[in-house]
Amino acid sequence: MTTLTVNQLLAYVQERCLWQFFSREWDRTENIEGILGKAADLLTGTPLTLETPMDRLFYADAKVMVDNLRGRFPEIAELPAAEVQGLISDLKVKVTEIAVTQSRNRELTQKLY
Amino acid sequence: MPMVLLRCDKDIPEREKHIYLKAPDEDTRTYLPLANAPTIPGTLSERGCAFCGAKLVIGGVLKDTIQMIHGPIGCAYDTWHTKRYPSANGHFQMKYVWSSDMKEPDIVFGGEKRLEKSMHEAFEQMPEIKRMILYTTCPTALIGDDVKAVAKRVMDARPDVDIFTVECPGFAGVSQSKGHHVLNIGWVTEKVGTVEPTITSDYTINFIGDYNIQGDTQLLQQYWNALGIQVIAHFTGNANYDDLRGMHRAKLSVVNCARSAGYIANELKRQYGIPRLDVDSWGFNYMAEGIRKICAFFGLEEKSEALIASEYEKWKPKLDWYKERLKGARMAIWTGGPRLWHWTKAVEDDLGVQVVAMSSKFGHEEDFEKVIARGRDGTYYVDDANELEFFEIIDAIKPDVIFTGPRVGELVKKLHVPYINGHGYHNGPYMGFEGFVNLARDMYNAVHNPLFKLAQTDIRGTAEVELKEAV
Repeated sequence: MTTLTVNQLLAYVQERCLWQFFSREWDRTENIEGILGKAADLLTGTPLTLETPMDRLFYADAKVMVDNLRGRFPEIAELPAAEVQGLISDLKVKVTEIAVTQSRNRELTQKLY
Repeated sequence: MPMVLLRCDKDIPEREKHIYLKAPDEDTRTYLPLANAPTIPGTLSERGCAFCGAKLVIGGVLKDTIQMIHGPIGCAYDTWHTKRYPSANGHFQMKYVWSSDMKEPDIVFGGEKRLEKSMHEAFEQMPEIKRMILYTTCPTALIGDDVKAVAKRVMDARPDVDIFTVECPGFAGVSQSKGHHVLNIGWVTEKVGTVEPTITSDYTINFIGDYNIQGDTQLLQQYWNALGIQVIAHFTGNANYDDLRGMHRAKLSVVNCARSAGYIANELKRQYGIPRLDVDSWGFNYMAEGIRKICAFFGLEEKSEALIASEYEKWKPKLDWYKERLKGARMAIWTGGPRLWHWTKAVEDDLGVQVVAMSSKFGHEEDFEKVIARGRDGTYYVDDANELEFFEIIDAIKPDVIFTGPRVGELVKKLHVPYINGHGYHNGPYMGFEGFVNLARDMYNAVHNPLFKLAQTDIRGTAEVELKEAV
């Protein structure tokens, strides 16, 4: 069992990742799902799908994130895939709470940009 | 720590909702300053108006475009030469100012004829210029002049010109942010897709939200050239009007200033399917990350590493020299909005500087989410700060340097606190690797300037000074 916690990953995302705070709820949700999904693939060695421009965008953000996580938390490279998936899944929940469901930003649900 | 009511705000307790002092283990779910809200009457706000946001910040940067301001001369004069964004064609946009110069009779009887005459005059005086942005201002909006109809008449009479109208008078919003919004949405609705750009590379981007302050755009352009990336449109640093009409052809929108130009990136994604990638262009670590992300999108990873290595080799030793001398310095950032979150970690990571107070003039709650997520505990985060709040916060945090505009900067100089022009820069550019060394140099010169200590010394000693009344 790893000592790496979801809060350590969350601290990294909060500090470094502008994509969590895009303009609207749907943009934020799309980014959280897309980028953290690609990050999980990279961390677990799952083959990547890079067919669409959005796939490549998520990959670009995820690649830098994963390189940084490997630098900050070397133990992440040793984790079994299931444990990585669990951590990333918990991270998605936490980032979604902060940036979407419990955000106090009054513009998030406006229909237009 | 809850929101803070400063002593100076005891008579305007509503200000408590705008000022936050971050404590450990708190995040933006619990506390988030109210932002993009009307200024409370009676406070000495530092905000600009909505028209200024459209003209001074975005439209006025274009290097081949007449900026016709339909209003009294002051609206034109006050948004001319207050920001330094040069261009590669001899700074056309900084040399001239245009206005319909409305007078009282024009307000009473209507200003459309005067405007039409002014527009023809401007095109006749500058026959090589074929593009114009036309802005309304408070008085001409209030009397209901139909500027779109005037623009159409002028375009009918001059088939080779193109005119874009921005109907965003000063009173249209709570700050200059509204002007950013109106110009962004108007441009993508009316102008994007009306010119087909010449494509010279497989790798095409729009670089959005960079206004070539003291050459930022031109500095970053060296990187795109080295990487073989074609910038279809810089929105709007060192750009031509028609460049921005071809934004629909880029494969990626790279966004620096998400506040002033996030709207157009969102619409380019929604309408044309162009992905939006947000980056920070200030700071070594962040700039390198931004380049890595852009290159990862295009599959150019090897080129990015070569570029970053060469820039680090050239500039990192210089940055480290300043870091040694700036470590532990206390900095305040009192600018528009995005520079708070762009800079707070960049100066901490690259220069060892602590950001102890930040104030935003026109940031939205999104900007406060970003900066509070990145910023330190024990730091003040203030929306639309007023003059007395600045004084009280300076007393509380004792900054060594403040990054702000000349208006507040001249004020704090009198308190013997050095300031750096955080909007137009002292000796920029500040973006990119070379630019961040420039920022570090200016900060070093400010923090270690002996004049400020000398100015604080009372050379009268203990001797009493004889005060004489004026006769």
